[in-house]
Amino acid sequence: MVIDMHVHPALYGEICGDKERVRLRCDEMGYHLMSPSPLEVLDKQNAYAGIDKMVLLPLDHSTRCDGQVVITNEEIRTLVDLRPEMLIGFASVDPHRSDALEVLDRAFGELGLMGLKLNPAKQRFYPDDRMMWPIYEKCLEYGRPILFHAGLSWEPQTLCKYSHPLRFEEVALEFPALRICLAHFGWPWVQETAMLMIKYPNVYTDTAMMYMDSAEQFMEKVFRQDMGEYWLDHNFPDQVMFGSNAPRFRPVRIKRGLDSLKMREDTRRKVMGENALRFLGMEGK
Amino acid sequence: MNVVLQTRTVCADQEVQLIKITQEVKTAVEESGVQNGVVFVISAHTTAGITMNEGLPCVEKDLVDKLEGLVPTRDVYAHAHFLPSYGATGGNSPGHIKSMLVGNHCVLPVQGGKVVLGHAQDIYFAEFDGIKNRKYYIEIMGE
Repeated sequence: MVIDMHVHPALYGEICGDKERVRLRCDEMGYHLMSPSPLEVLDKQNAYAGIDKMVLLPLDHSTRCDGQVVITNEEIRTLVDLRPEMLIGFASVDPHRSDALEVLDRAFGELGLMGLKLNPAKQRFYPDDRMMWPIYEKCLEYGRPILFHAGLSWEPQTLCKYSHPLRFEEVALEFPALRICLAHFGWPWVQETAMLMIKYPNVYTDTAMMYMDSAEQFMEKVFRQDMGEYWLDHNFPDQVMFGSNAPRFRPVRIKRGLDSLKMREDTRRKVMGENALRFLGMEGK
Repeated sequence: MNVVLQTRTVCADQEVQLIKITQEVKTAVEESGVQNGVVFVISAHTTAGITMNEGLPCVEKDLVDKLEGLVPTRDVYAHAHFLPSYGATGGNSPGHIKSMLVGNHCVLPVQGGKVVLGHAQDIYFAEFDGIKNRKYYIEIMGE
């Protein structure tokens, strides 16, 4: 089972009917010169790459975007309904919305979305701000994990001071039952992310990073130079998940980068899918 | 002189794939009404080209493998950095170089309303940066 934990479906043709809306979405997310394509192309890409499932991430930063939600929870549900065996939908909510908890009740209770994506750098909040506690409690109420953007963000109008891994420690400490993923390995703060994983078993990360060079070169730098050779196998084999950050990084390339890394075969199975199943609460289902 | 321009789309099943389009070109020429002239087949992309060769699977395999040997996927490329114009990291330099090597078009005679092909010649859309929807043009010029 191979699960890509980190996919932004901004250019999936089935939610790109309104050209003005697509332009706003791409401007806000920093995607250019890429065109929408139908799910049939995704089917081919995943068959070729050997990817079984993908987690789709929406984006609601409406309090900073004239009330517009650039990828809605409802659009995610629409896509999941078109490929229920392949696609897993997450929710998004702008934490600054006055109705944030109601949005989450609908997302989890009515739309059946499987987790929450938050981007502190884009949505402009500190993860350890007490303002966030009710949102974390709501996720616990529904047993849903949170995937946080962490580290560098290339999206326009983002500030990385909000997404430094150290700003997540208090969340991990105060909510030990809440599964949280600091995406992108928190790059460039890889060792801080590693520190949190060895300290808190509820902290996960994903591999959605190819900020420079090729995927092979970047994975070599992160897993062999920024970290010790055996850190993954011996310290957090249960907490790292395959993620691509499509469309910014192509899933087949990120997967090829991981494939090029030497690791134990049981670690590889965990990274490529088993950890995601546990993070998602889908283990044994 | 008549000029007929047609656009075709294609989507590979693999990142690198030679897709035979000979029949599509033959049909376009026969439907164009042009009896004598030339047909151009032109790629609309910088990481996918148009080429011609013998339509045997072994030849296709050799072409793909030798191009990979010349331009390995796993190598050092200056294009592999963040591209603000796309919002993505450039990971397709091998595709750019391979498409340059095969070229972006082919040209064939049209005679008696049909494409003139050598007995071993097939026309290929050469995908080097799949998998995505692609476009190529068939332009027929003549009387």
